[in-house]
Amino acid sequence: MIFANKFFLTLLPVVLILYFLLRTRAQKYNVLLLASWAFYTWLSPWYLWVLLLLTVIDYTAAVRIEDATNPRARKRWLVVSIVANLGLLVAFKYTPFVYDNALELGRWCGLAVTERHWNILLPLGISFHTFQGISYTVDVYRRQIAAVRSFRDYAFFVAFFPQLAAGPIVRAVEFLPEMVTPPTPSAQQVAEGLHLFLIGLFKKLVIADQLDVLFVSPVFANPGAFDAAAHRWAAVAWAAQIYCDFSGYSDMAVGIAKWFGFELPRNFDLPYLAANITDFWRRWHVSLSAWLRDYLYFPLGGSRRGAARTYLNLMVLFVLCGLWHGATWAWLAYGVYNGLLMCGHRAFDRVATGRGFWDALRASRGWAAFAWALTLSQLVAMLILVRMNSWADGWLMLKSFALFDVWGLWSPRVPVWVPLLVALVALGHLCGKLKLTAPAPLRAAAQVGAVVALVAFTPGVTKTFIYVQF
Amino acid sequence: MTPTATTPAALPRAHPARRAVRRRARFVSRNRAALLFVAFLVIADLGIGALAPVWDRHSPDDYAARVTGCAALPRDLVFVGGSPVTEGIDPGQIAGANWRSAPLADAYAVGLHGGTATDFYYAAKRACPTAPRVIVYGATASDLNDSRSEPHGTRTLLDRADVREIARTRPETAEWVTRHYTESKIGRASNLYRYRHGLRMWAAVQADALIPGACPEALAQAREQRDHADDLATRGTGYAPLKGYARVRYDHMKAAGHVPPPFGFLNNYRTGSHSKYVDALAEWCRARGTALVLLDMPVTADLEARYPREFAEYRARLAGLARAHNLPLIRGADAGLTDADFADLIHMTPDGCATFSRWLRGKLEDAGRAP
Repeated sequence: MIFANKFFLTLLPVVLILYFLLRTRAQKYNVLLLASWAFYTWLSPWYLWVLLLLTVIDYTAAVRIEDATNPRARKRWLVVSIVANLGLLVAFKYTPFVYDNALELGRWCGLAVTERHWNILLPLGISFHTFQGISYTVDVYRRQIAAVRSFRDYAFFVAFFPQLAAGPIVRAVEFLPEMVTPPTPSAQQVAEGLHLFLIGLFKKLVIADQLDVLFVSPVFANPGAFDAAAHRWAAVAWAAQIYCDFSGYSDMAVGIAKWFGFELPRNFDLPYLAANITDFWRRWHVSLSAWLRDYLYFPLGGSRRGAARTYLNLMVLFVLCGLWHGATWAWLAYGVYNGLLMCGHRAFDRVATGRGFWDALRASRGWAAFAWALTLSQLVAMLILVRMNSWADGWLMLKSFALFDVWGLWSPRVPVWVPLLVALVALGHLCGKLKLTAPAPLRAAAQVGAVVALVAFTPGVTKTFIYVQF
Repeated sequence: MTPTATTPAALPRAHPARRAVRRRARFVSRNRAALLFVAFLVIADLGIGALAPVWDRHSPDDYAARVTGCAALPRDLVFVGGSPVTEGIDPGQIAGANWRSAPLADAYAVGLHGGTATDFYYAAKRACPTAPRVIVYGATASDLNDSRSEPHGTRTLLDRADVREIARTRPETAEWVTRHYTESKIGRASNLYRYRHGLRMWAAVQADALIPGACPEALAQAREQRDHADDLATRGTGYAPLKGYARVRYDHMKAAGHVPPPFGFLNNYRTGSHSKYVDALAEWCRARGTALVLLDMPVTADLEARYPREFAEYRARLAGLARAHNLPLIRGADAGLTDADFADLIHMTPDGCATFSRWLRGKLEDAGRAP
């Protein structure tokens, strides 16, 4: 696991000490940049060149865009940047998928084709740093920010190691102003960083990894061997696992950045409390949703070109969002499903808003509870799509989940820890919703409890972050 | 009450001591959260350290238990070796054998699972503060495989001088040994880290008491470890067969069509480096007037058939060591054990151990009669 291994746990204190000991801005950022590249090389030794190449291209393109005097030259350099980023992303991520489907099509047409015997190892974090690069050159093109003239500064913005592997997708417009003078972390940032780092580790190692090993993987690997109640719990546990896995990484990234005095955007906002699908995408992987909105949905016209075009834009947005997560039909289906839900919710919202009965109903607590339950069940159901091993397995689990009855939650096959770990996730959401903050001693005791749990109860090799693989 | 001149409040506003007090107070107030965390962490760590016997009971260290168990009393006869010795020699059956016309009153087996000849040398040094009359090294091919470096011995048996000695004697493993030794020392700086396995096992037992069936695998592991440690302590001879080896027989497994996996301990087989520690053991015994006997532990015919080159090299090396130090060499293969006496490719069943131990007693007496 990226943040719980000897290399990282040695690198981090060394870099922190050097960062605070060194005097000048250049020295500090040189150390951070070299550490970030070393970290990347350690994690993805074959692909540092991809990161460096895109850094050079985007840096050059942004400077040329700013320096260009005619609009065509500006646009040309923007296209260079976008094509380079998306080209490499597509080449690495989607080539096997396209190839396999071309083979399938060929087979369907009666051609003699052979199976693919090769694979492409995905460069670490390519889905994230390419989006960061695009947002930077687009912002320069839109004259929202000035191009960075120091290559080191730009390279550091792209490669800053806490968020390099799996986000959050940081915008230049947010991060570059923080870089003007090397920030010194306040005592509050140090404390918050510690809290976030421990919470993130706890979510990843104690909740996500344990749910996976104890229950989620065995059930999804062979759902036929389990009963309907186990399927229901596995679906819910998988939803808890993927949330804790990804938000755990984001928490750790944000926490580590705070120790250097940087503020990264929070990526999650209690997503399973969403009252509708639109609300969910404002709470889940916030930096990706915002990126897609600003650099895809709005340029496509957003909701300004009539209802039909708006629905089309939403579908395009979510199909691409699904494919961003993974080059499989299941992820495509996930995108389509989300797009349809988004369109359905938008249509319902437009029909119901402004009508007395509906407005009153939607303002009621009963409706809020109903909407939350409906949204959550939709979310859990669609997450089955992306974990299933085959469509038949997915269908079996979806059937079990859809035919829900309150008595069908008990199964001897469900380890007692599964409901307890899921309950911890629910408790975390509840505390967040009620904005409960513990007094400092209680908070410190909880943090120490988390450390004890991490050291004592998470033995062995941990699993890689799910979103790192996207 | 009027403040006295020694309290901070009584000092003049510009006094440096007062400023320092204020600075400290501000620092503590500003960093309260982080300081509380550190303080609680230290308290928790000390608390865990105070309960060390509880965690030790739930996570016994087999190496340490055998070494300290042997060292607790002066012994006449000590067996050292790897897991074949642990499972294949019952000192209780051999104690009383005559050696140079006098019975070997007390025997103990320091069998270290997964150990190498290097580990056995240090185990013998630690386990025998009083020189025994006889040490039997129950060797097997994997002990001398220089491709193997196992961390348990480094972490449990060595001190700084030993690490320096290994770095000199086996320079190819200097970095590895130093790293593992350092890691073990750093790990011991934190009680939480040091006793993490005991904590986990203890928690499994407590959780099962609260919710039966809560963590069956961890509980089974905790129980097996505890029972094994109790068995080892009760018998007092170093022989405490693992339950798993009592339940199965290699001939039955073969009849059922089971094909054992490759024996990884013989991968990339080469000798010459670990064997320096057999030399060292021989010298150490000679210096103390202890007789050293080499015992080639028996293994299944299938294992020998799978790794003929490795066993040939091992046997040649062992014979060379016996010749070089003029040591008696007992061939365990002559005991006539069959697949029925083994639980797997290399470990004996308790019945096989009893048969072999009886045979070994006679062979030791023969060796003890030789001039």
